[in-house]
Amino acid sequence: MESRILKPILAVYVALFLLFLYGPFIVLGILSFQQGPEGGPQFPIIEWSVFWYKHILGLAPPSRVSPLPIGISLFRSVTLAGMTMVTSTVLGVMSAQAFRRNFRGKTAAFYLIVLGMIVPGILVGLGSALVATTTGIERHWWSTAFATHVVYTLPFAFLVMLAIFNRFDASVEEASWSLGVSPITTFRKVTFPLIFPGVLSAMLFAFTLSYDEFARTLFSSGREQTLPLAIYATFTVEIHPNVFAFGVLTTLFSFALLTVYAILMSLSIRRAKRAAIQEAIE
Amino acid sequence: MSEEPILRLDGLTKDFGGQAALSEVSFSVERGEYVALLGPSGAGKTTLLRTIAGFETPSRGKIFLSGQDVTRAPVHQRGIGFVFQNFALFPHLTVMNNVAFGIRNGVNRLPEAEVRTRALEAIDLVGLKGLEGRNIGQISGGQKQRVALARTLVIRPKLVLLDEPLGALDANLRLRMRAELRRIREQLGIPFLHVTGSEIEALAMGDRLIVLDQGRIGQFGTPAEVYNRPASANVARFLNRYNVFEGALEGQAFASQYGRFPYGVRMAGQKPAYAVRYDRVVVKETGAAAQGPALRANYVASEYLGAAIMNFFETDDGKVVEVEHHLSNGPPTIFAPGRAYDLTWKPDDGIVFG
Amino acid sequence: MTPSQAAVEKVTNEPSQNGSASTYVLIAPAVVWMTLFLVVPMAMIIYVSFWTQTTFKIEPTLTLDSWQTFFASDTYINSLWTTVRIWLIVLVTTFIIGYPTALFVGLFVKNKTLQTALLVLCVIPFWTSFLIRVLAWRPMLGKEGAINIILQKAGIIHQPIEALLFTDLSVVIGMTQIYVVFMVGPIAFMLGRIDPNIIEAARDLGADFWRILRKIILPLSLPGVVVGAIFVSVMVLGEFATSAALSGRKVNLLGNIIVTEVGSLKWALASVVGVILTVIMGLVIAGLLRVVDLKKEL
Repeated sequence: MESRILKPILAVYVALFLLFLYGPFIVLGILSFQQGPEGGPQFPIIEWSVFWYKHILGLAPPSRVSPLPIGISLFRSVTLAGMTMVTSTVLGVMSAQAFRRNFRGKTAAFYLIVLGMIVPGILVGLGSALVATTTGIERHWWSTAFATHVVYTLPFAFLVMLAIFNRFDASVEEASWSLGVSPITTFRKVTFPLIFPGVLSAMLFAFTLSYDEFARTLFSSGREQTLPLAIYATFTVEIHPNVFAFGVLTTLFSFALLTVYAILMSLSIRRAKRAAIQEAIE
Repeated sequence: MSEEPILRLDGLTKDFGGQAALSEVSFSVERGEYVALLGPSGAGKTTLLRTIAGFETPSRGKIFLSGQDVTRAPVHQRGIGFVFQNFALFPHLTVMNNVAFGIRNGVNRLPEAEVRTRALEAIDLVGLKGLEGRNIGQISGGQKQRVALARTLVIRPKLVLLDEPLGALDANLRLRMRAELRRIREQLGIPFLHVTGSEIEALAMGDRLIVLDQGRIGQFGTPAEVYNRPASANVARFLNRYNVFEGALEGQAFASQYGRFPYGVRMAGQKPAYAVRYDRVVVKETGAAAQGPALRANYVASEYLGAAIMNFFETDDGKVVEVEHHLSNGPPTIFAPGRAYDLTWKPDDGIVFG
Repeated sequence: MTPSQAAVEKVTNEPSQNGSASTYVLIAPAVVWMTLFLVVPMAMIIYVSFWTQTTFKIEPTLTLDSWQTFFASDTYINSLWTTVRIWLIVLVTTFIIGYPTALFVGLFVKNKTLQTALLVLCVIPFWTSFLIRVLAWRPMLGKEGAINIILQKAGIIHQPIEALLFTDLSVVIGMTQIYVVFMVGPIAFMLGRIDPNIIEAARDLGADFWRILRKIILPLSLPGVVVGAIFVSVMVLGEFATSAALSGRKVNLLGNIIVTEVGSLKWALASVVGVILTVIMGLVIAGLLRVVDLKKEL
C-alpha cells in the first residue's frame, strides 16, 4: 500500500479518533475535581478540590446536594450482575455443549438464543413489565429484572462458548472415555478445565453487561433501584460533579476488575496448555 | 479346546451420508494376536477402528468382545484401549496423572496407593522411568507416544486399538518405536489391532494382516500369505511390490496389451488383472532369447534403497514398470537412459486374477 | 471425498453425531428461558397494543384505538420520522468516522499486539458506565462547554456555538461517539482477514490506492460493515437515554415515547410504539442481511 503518505495520515486520524472517544472521559475526569458544593458540572473550574470524591464516600459535610444513592443500589447491581453471570454462563455452557451435536430444531434454537441480544432493552423491558402488570406478578430486581438480564447476557455467553468449543480438540474426551471414564466425569476432569478460560470470558462478559444495564431494568425492577437506574434518576434533576467523581471511581473499579480477570486468564491458560485448544493437530 | 476370539465382527456396516464407509466387515482377532489393519487412505481403516472402540455406531452388524455383544455399549464400558495418532494426552496433567487417569477415575477405579504403584509400573514398562513429574508440554514426540501407550495399558484392556500410532513420528523414531511396541506387547500378551497406511510397517509388525479396500476386507492373512498371494489386483497394487497389468484371461494365458503372459498362480473371482513382483523381473538386452513372458520398455531412472535398487522403466504408451534388484544377488547393472530393454520373468512368478 | 474421509473430518469438530436425549436436556433450559422471558413478553407487546386503554388501566377488549391515536397525532408521527432520521444519520456518521480507523487498525498495523492494543484502547471507554458517558457530553457541548472554550481560545470562532447542545446535532454527536466502536470492530476484523498478497498483486498491476479501495478493500470488508451496521442500528433504534440527556426533550425518539407513556401508565399506546419499533428493526435487519450472505462470508 502507499504506506508512505497514507499511513501517517491515517495515524493522525486515529489519534484524533481516540481523542474523540476519550474526550468526554477526560472532561469528566477534570470536572470531577471541581470545587464543591457550589461548583457546577461545567467549566470553568472554580477551584480544584477533591470535595466530590469525599461526597461520594459520605465523608463530606452535609450540603444541599443530596448524595447519590450508591450504597444499597450498588449492592443490588453487583448482586444482580453476579446472579446473571452465574446463570447465563451455566446456561451458555450447557447450550454450547448441546450444539456440538446435530438435533432437530438446532437452527431455530440458535436464532432464539441470539434473539436475546438483538432485541433492544427497551422492548424487552416493556414486554416484561406488561406481563408483570397483567398477570399481577410483582416486579423486583431479583426476579423480573434478573430474568430479563439473563435474556440479554445468555447469547453472549453462548456465542463465546460456541467459539471455544469450535476450536476444542475432542480427541482428549474420546481418550478419556476409552480409559473407562464416564462422560460426566470426563466433562468434569477433562473438558471443563480445558474450556475454563472461555468460561471466564463468558462470565466477565455477562457480569459487565448486566452491571451497566439499565434499559431493561428500567421497567422490570420495580421500586428498588439498581445503580444505573439511580444515576438515570439524576438526569432529570440538576446534575452535580459528584456524578463525575462517581464515574471516575467506577472506571477505576472496572479497570481493577479487568486486571483481576487478565491475571486469572493467564494463570488458567498456562494450566490449560494451548495444545488442546488449537485448531491444527500437529 | 478352542477359545473364544477376543474380538469378532459380524457384518459390520457403516453408512456416511448415503455412502458406505464400511461394508459387511467380518473377522476375528484371537487372544494374544497382533493384527495390522492396512489400506490406502479413504479405505475405512480409521472408521473401522473407531467403530470397534465405540466412537461411532455401526449402521448394521455386530461387535463381540470375548463373546459379549458390545455393539450398543457406551465407549467407557467396553474395556477397549485406544491409542490416538495425535496422542490425545491431557495437556493440563503431568505424565504421572495422564497415565494414572483411567485407574483413578474410570469404572474400575482403584484405591490411590495402588493407582500410584500401577502407574509407575506402566511408566517403567514403556521406558519413561523418572519422567513422571514432567508436564506434557515438556516431553518429546516419542515420549508422548509412550505416555499414550502407558496410559492405555495401565487399565489392563482386553484389546488395544492403535490408530497410526507411529504416523506422527519421524522415520528414525518410527523404526525404534516399532521394535518397542512389539516388545511391550509380547511382554503383556494383550492383543493389538494396529492401523497403518504403511505396508512396510504392517508387514513388519503383524502376526496377521487385514487389507481394507474401500470399506471391504480385501484380504486377511499372514504377512507371507498377503505378500506372496495377494487376493486381488487392488491388494497387489497397494502392497507396492507388484507390477499390475490390465487385460483379459484367455485360456492358459493372460492377454494384455503388451503380449500374452503365461501365469503360475490363479486367484479366482476377481476383476481380471495380472501381477508380477518387482523383484522377480529380470532385465535383458533386446533380442536376447526370452524364456517366458516379456515386455519391452525404456529405462528411465533408478533409486537407491539401501539394500536394493529400484529401476524404473516406461513402456511406449507410458506405463511404468518397476524392477527391484536386491544387492545381495550381485552388483547392479547400469542401464542407458532412454534405451529399450526386454523385461522378462518366470511364468511361475505371474499371478493372474479373474 | 470418500465417506471415510468424511468420518475423519469429524475430528475437526463438524457435528456428525446426532443428538441423544441428553442433548435435548442440555438445550432445554435455555430454550425455555428465552421463550418465557423474551418471546412471551414480545408477544404481549403485540397483543396489548390492541387492548382498550382506560385512564390508568388496560383491558383485554380488542380495539384499534391506540393505533389510531398514534397515527392521528403529529407528535407521534414526528417521533417516528425523527427516529428513522437520527438512525440513518448516526449509521452514516459511524461508518464514515469509523471506517478509516478500521482501515488503519485492520490493514496498516501489521503487528498483532499493536492491533489488539489499539482495539483495547477503543474498548476502554466502555468501562465507564454508559449513562455517565452520556452525561459527560453536556459539559463538552454547552455554551460554556469544553469545545466552545477551546475553539474560542484558538480563535476559530468568536461566539460560542449554541447549536451544539440540546439539538439534533448533540444527539447525533453523542450517539456516534458511543456506538462508533461497534462499527470499527467488525470492519477491522474483516479487513485483517484480507490476504495482503491480493493488494500487492493489484499494486503490481498498476492500480492506484483509490481503485484498490473501491474494488478490493470495500467489497471484502462488506460483511464487517453489515455486522457493524446491524449492531449500531439495533442500539440506536432502541435509544432513549442519549436523546433524553442531550436534547432536553427536544428530540423525541420512539424510545422516549415508550418511556413517557409507560410513565403515565398508557400501556396500550406504549405497546403500539413498541410494535412499530420492532417492525422497523425487523425491516432494517432483514434489509442489511440481504446485502451480504453473512453465513457464507463469516
